[in-house]
Order: sequence, then C-alpha cells, then structure tokens
Amino acid sequence: MGATFVITLREAFEAALLLGIVYGYLDRIGAREQFRWVTLGGALGLAASLAMGLAVSFLSGPLLDAGPDVIGAAVMFLAAGLLTWHAWWMRQHSRAIKGQLEHRIDEARRAQRLWIVGLIAFTGVFREGAETVLFLWGVMAEATDAVGWGSVAGGVAGVGAAALLGWAVFRGGRRVSLARFFDATTALILFLAAGLFSAGVGRLEGLGLLPMSPQLWDTSWLLSDRSLVGSFLAGLLGYRARPSLFEALAYAAYLAGAAILLFRPRRPAAQVAVVGAGQRAARG
Amino acid sequence: MRRLAIPLLGLVALCTFLAAGAPADEPPEIALVIEKNRFSPEEIRVKAGKPFLLVITNKDGAPEEFESRDLKIEKIIPAGKTVRLKMPALKRGTYGFVGEYHEKTAMGQIVAE
Repeated sequence: MGATFVITLREAFEAALLLGIVYGYLDRIGAREQFRWVTLGGALGLAASLAMGLAVSFLSGPLLDAGPDVIGAAVMFLAAGLLTWHAWWMRQHSRAIKGQLEHRIDEARRAQRLWIVGLIAFTGVFREGAETVLFLWGVMAEATDAVGWGSVAGGVAGVGAAALLGWAVFRGGRRVSLARFFDATTALILFLAAGLFSAGVGRLEGLGLLPMSPQLWDTSWLLSDRSLVGSFLAGLLGYRARPSLFEALAYAAYLAGAAILLFRPRRPAAQVAVVGAGQRAARG
Repeated sequence: MRRLAIPLLGLVALCTFLAAGAPADEPPEIALVIEKNRFSPEEIRVKAGKPFLLVITNKDGAPEEFESRDLKIEKIIPAGKTVRLKMPALKRGTYGFVGEYHEKTAMGQIVAE
C-alpha cells in the first residue's frame, strides 16, 4: 500500500502543483470566471492520458517502440515553454502592482490570452498522466486479495494526497499579498520549468537524439530522487540524484536565460511606454 | 525532368534504406523478459561502444515501466507486449534499471565491457 502511495503521489504531484498555481493565478487576478480554461485543460489532459494509455496497450510495432517517447519529450519542452511565457506575464503584473497601478491588472487580464493557463493545465496533467493511468490499471488488474486491494487504495490515496497539496498551494496563495503571490509563483514556476527542460534534454539523450553525456555527480546515497522527500524536490526544483552533464547544463542555462529575460532592469524607454499606455487607458 | 525527380528520389531513398538495413549494420538483439514482476535475465552483458537493440517482452498481465535513470530511459511495456528499444553505444560501466511499477522485485543491470 505504501509503495503504490509513493508512486502515484510522485507522478501526480507536479500536475497538482501546476493546477494549484494556475487556479490561484486566475483567482488572484480576479478572473475566477476563467477557471473553466484550467478545468477544461485538466480534463482534456486526463482524456489524452486515458487515450494514450489505451493506445500503447493496443498498439504494437514501431509506433509503440518510439511514438510515446517522442510525444513525452515534446510535452516536456512544450510545458517548459508555456511556463516561461506565463512567468513572464506574472512578472509584468508584479511590476504593475509595485508601481501602485493595481488597475493595470485588468489590462493585463485582457491582454493575456488566458487559454494559455488552460494549456499549462493540459500539459501538466498529460505529462505523467498516461503513466499514472497505466500504473493504477496494472495495480487493479493484479488485485486479487486484500493486499492487492490495499495497493489500489494506496495508489488512489496518492493521487488524492497530490490533489490536496495542489489545493494547499491554491489556498496558501490567497493568504499572501498579491505582489508576493506573483513573485513566489514566478520563482516556483521557473524552477519547475528548469526541471522540465533538463528532464527533456535527458530524455533526448535516452532516445539517442543527443549523445550520452557523462554523469556529473551521484548523491543518491544522500538523497535518492525516488524517496518521498527526493520526489518532492524532483517535482519542485528538478532535483536529480545522478544528473548527466547535459541535464545539469540545460538546467543552469535555462535558469540563467529565464532570469535575464524576467529580472533584467527595466529600461527607461520601456517604462515610459508602459506609463503612456496606462494614461491612455485611464483617459479612455 | 521534374516528373522524374520524385521517383528518382524515392529510388535513392529505397537504396539508402536497404543499405542501412543490411545485416552487417544491424545491431545485435538482446532479449529481456518480464515475468512475475521480475526481469530475466537480471544482468545483461553487452560490448562497450556498440549499439544494440533491447527487446523487452512483458509476459505479465499488468503493464510495467522499464526505467533506467542511468540511461535516461522510461518506457512503458504494456501487458503481453514486446517493445524494441534502440540502445546507444555504452561506455564501459554498469547501468541499473528497474520496473518502476514493481521496484522491489523488478530490477537488473546492464554491464558494458
């Protein structure tokens, strides 16, 4: 029971975290009526996971050999890209608030295509969704006695615990100030995206699309990324006990690039342009 | 001329394909079976520096995920199915793998020498 609990918690944690963040984001910018984008994205992600689970169970041959891996790697890069985009938006909001211009949030809301948060929900759920579905299906197929059904219960409880954590992120997000919410979730999202990007690069190594690079270090004796704590750190920060050189480089390069994109000082010209836009909006 | 271009290209592609598929270049196949939530064999010996094909058959009634953190591979092997995994040329060393869904029993290693 314990083993299946840890596995599904590990698989569902990232998705729950992302859902908590994007629901929280919509809530904080006063766009609760847009929750449906996230709900729709999450539901489509679940449907795609089920379809994928069915597809790999019935397919065979070359499609089964390579198809799911290519899709898996693509989803990771797509998710990292979407998260970066979202972080960039939140950064704009955060700046608007710090400039005592809270009403700009409205503008930002109109300007940002909110379906992007729906896509984030989709990629978040779909990324590990098929694996979780197949795992739970396997556990159920094997459940013939009390121990087996205990495993099923453990697996379901793991998904439930992940959902609770996502809910906690959502609730916690409402308690902090708006500026703090944007800053904290931006940072969280960047680490998440760095982890996804680096995992995507690792996957390309595994697929042979990139050459295998040497292992950089091994801290599995200290903290295995399969343990409960290690899994959390893996989901949150992209922790790897035994990263390859390329994975570590990808992680560092992503963070550096994102930091430059999001945290470089604003040029005076840009500031004027934003203030100008605000005045126009106020007048109009 | 343009009419000829596509069939000609096709012919070239076909020749390349056939040449690539010639027996001399085909990587050796190594079978790995999953049965009763265990791998068999649990140790696979391969030549370092030579790519190979890992042919994994899951004889159990439940899916399994072949996972190797060392090799950056995660691959679902559905119940009763066979999956052919292209493996890269490995450096000398030992590379662990597990069945993620049954980590306690399903484990093994690839030794490249």
